[in-house]
Amino acid sequence: MKNALHRMNPSVKFLAITICMFTMAFFFDPWTPLVFWAGVLVLQFFFSEINWKRWLLFMLPFFVTSFGYFWTTLVFAEDSSGSVVWSIWNLQITETQLNHALSLSFRVLAFSSLSLLFALTTNPVTFILSLMQQLRLSPKIAYGVMVGYQFLPVLKDEFVQIGQAHRLRGAGGEKNTLQRLLGVRRILIPMLAGAVRKAERAAFAMEARGFTGERRSSYFRVISMGKLDIALVSLFLFLLVLSCTHIWWLG
Amino acid sequence: MLKSWKLKEIVLMSLFAVVFGIVYLLFLHVGNIWAGFIGPIAYEWIFGIWFIVSIICMYIIRKPGAAVVSETIAAAIEVLLGNAVGPRLILSGIVQGLGAEAVFAATRYKRFDLWVLMLAGVGSSIFSFVYGYFLGGFSVYSTGYVALMLGIRILSGAMIAGIGGKAVADGLLATGSLRGYAISRSKKGEARA
Amino acid sequence: MHEVIHFDKVSFRYPDEEKWILEELSFTIQRGERVVITGPSGCGKTTLLYLCNRLYPDNCDGILLGSVKLFGKNSSSFIPGEINHRIATVFQDPDSQFCMQTVEEELAFTLENLHVKRDEMENRIRDVLALTDLTEFRYAVIQKLSGGQKQRIATACALIMKPEVLLLDEPLSHLDPFTAKKYVEWLDELQQKCAMTIVAIEHRLDLWGDFFERSISLNKNEMAPILIKRKSSKQKNDSLVVNKLQANTYLQETSFTLKRGEVAVLAGPNGSGKSTLLKALCELIPSSGSVESKLLGYVPQSPEFLFLTKNVRDEVGFGGGDNTEELLARLQLLPIADSHPFAVSHGQKRRVAIAAMLSDGREVILMDEPTSGQDAKALSELFQLIDERAREGTTFLIVTHDMEFAYCLADSILLMNDGRLTGQFNADIVWSDDHLLMDHNLLSPKEVILREKCFA
Repeated sequence: MKNALHRMNPSVKFLAITICMFTMAFFFDPWTPLVFWAGVLVLQFFFSEINWKRWLLFMLPFFVTSFGYFWTTLVFAEDSSGSVVWSIWNLQITETQLNHALSLSFRVLAFSSLSLLFALTTNPVTFILSLMQQLRLSPKIAYGVMVGYQFLPVLKDEFVQIGQAHRLRGAGGEKNTLQRLLGVRRILIPMLAGAVRKAERAAFAMEARGFTGERRSSYFRVISMGKLDIALVSLFLFLLVLSCTHIWWLG
Repeated sequence: MLKSWKLKEIVLMSLFAVVFGIVYLLFLHVGNIWAGFIGPIAYEWIFGIWFIVSIICMYIIRKPGAAVVSETIAAAIEVLLGNAVGPRLILSGIVQGLGAEAVFAATRYKRFDLWVLMLAGVGSSIFSFVYGYFLGGFSVYSTGYVALMLGIRILSGAMIAGIGGKAVADGLLATGSLRGYAISRSKKGEARA
Repeated sequence: MHEVIHFDKVSFRYPDEEKWILEELSFTIQRGERVVITGPSGCGKTTLLYLCNRLYPDNCDGILLGSVKLFGKNSSSFIPGEINHRIATVFQDPDSQFCMQTVEEELAFTLENLHVKRDEMENRIRDVLALTDLTEFRYAVIQKLSGGQKQRIATACALIMKPEVLLLDEPLSHLDPFTAKKYVEWLDELQQKCAMTIVAIEHRLDLWGDFFERSISLNKNEMAPILIKRKSSKQKNDSLVVNKLQANTYLQETSFTLKRGEVAVLAGPNGSGKSTLLKALCELIPSSGSVESKLLGYVPQSPEFLFLTKNVRDEVGFGGGDNTEELLARLQLLPIADSHPFAVSHGQKRRVAIAAMLSDGREVILMDEPTSGQDAKALSELFQLIDERAREGTTFLIVTHDMEFAYCLADSILLMNDGRLTGQFNADIVWSDDHLLMDHNLLSPKEVILREKCFA
């Protein structure tokens, strides 16, 4: 049971998460996203085997972003009705403002946790296969993406090598952002030129093995859907309803 | 639509997405974590970098759908590379791609000059902003703040994606490696005419 | 009715170029034959191969005249993908012919393309792995395998389709000589088991032994220049002194000295640390120890990695040297001085890279595998380039697997194994020491073998 989220069908997981995010976008009180965020953590705790240290590392920037949302909403809020709950210098913060600010920052945390839950429990290749098998993604695109994924280490290596070669010629090592951007352009051109060549070779190799981009009649690795997916989707939906209706049960 | 696409064109988009993915990963995002303190506006000025792939691909391949398909592939690649924002990127990729695609479609895929590319960047900016407005809950912000964010994003889309995209693609064209793609043929045609 | 491939007065050109790549070419290949198609780079070998497996003309909108018949039928009468089941292909570059992670998935990808039923897949995967002796690699991650292993996997992926014809596109050009020889022996056995037709394109036949029964030459009456052993230009004074150089735990303590004008070859099996040594020498990776002569030039296997500007003249002058025009003239770069450095030929790119290094005042030049995938003409051009520079006093350290090339060029040979420099030898000593060669996956050069036969 501990690895249920890892075994969940990736497309189903993807859809469930998307529905949750779009529904949450309609709520502007602090409790809905907070309850939902807590719920996501509980789900993750019971049904996944993720490394929490890694999770925390990935979450760190989102905590920062969440704080950014908090203070900007306080300062730049549109609706400043309601009683003043807080005042710093000459800034009067009303109840509505505070609620909106908390809501948006909890929303950032809820969305980020949800995305991380997906990223940390989903095998990328399985996800692509599932998109093709369950959501009818065109094999041309699916395998096109797959090839890109296989080239990642090769291209990363090339990036480092080009950087080294440029350093030898006395370019690179720029400090400010604008110079760095120009430096990136110099590395980009050889990398893209190489990518054009590699893309043709890879595409030809696939076609030479009879790949035409048409739908496949059978798969070696079948990505299935089952009871587990129904159960987990129900859990997600239950959590969603629970957090959206907190008014009734939280009072 | 996909029938008329050569496999090498699709794989090209995918590898371009990987190249840009590496650049984002190793270069631009390191050390940028703390920018989040400034709030949602912090990333606006650099937002155009996300649209650059779709503009470069459309400028090179010049077939209906090139902007949407490439931006979607780019987002999928980001997910595969382990981007923590994950599934949200796929949807925003489609939305951004549609923004650029709408501009190219309006010219009936006949014009690919600098103005059209900049407009395509603006298209992506606007579409992605509407999407972000909804998901990020920007409606609680004052109109002035929202207008400022949109303004910066449009500028970034036009400059980084439009002008930057054209510069990169023209630089690539000059290397002679794009032989056999629509961009090379059209340049020759222009030269003859 | 045993003709599998039949070309009748075939001409081909790309839509945006005036020049015909193939002109009125006619030949026939019979079932069960082993044929090699030879010719220098750019003679249209690859185009010819792509016409046989129908990647062309569709993929490049090329213009095709004459008739290409496959199995007695007009090639355009096959639907896309149909012919690829019967004529399978193994390509040149081991790094860019796979789209899945593991060997098993890659084989399954091929079977799915053929619409093989799911319950048959397991058997076919098992059979082809047994046939090719690759069962142990079934769950291996392809990108982690060596070049030679990747080429075998690519061959297995072709064979799982049970093709009647196997096309090979210079399959050895990225392998070291020893690995290449092993691959040829392996392929020889497979051909005897499966009784298929093999058509290969190749510009160098020495590694194939007597594998082929027949060859078709696309050589347009150009004789390939033959390399002749050069006279040493080694001078008295030291130019590169390396003392106890060590890097990232893999490269063990290394010391050696090169003289001014000396040409040294660095050889050893793939992955023995040759590239690491070069990078440590020019401080591209952190290292300890001392390297005397701070200004080292480095030319990577893809010279374009070095390029920063938009034309050859700027490229050579980028480092601020004041003798740009003189160097352009000396290295015969004036005709392309205004071209984009990416748009010139591979040999010219290397010339530009060396000119840029010399312009920076770098007197020692390190080259990483400049011979890999080069035809005879390119090799002779490279030979001349190095020979002339060495005479002017430049010192070279060159990584190569090509022992014929090394034989003609090198004053001394540095051998590496497992991250360790096993020694610096006088070139002539290495050629006659079979044990030394075997230990480093090298084959002795033809000239030496021929000479020994004469004496025997």
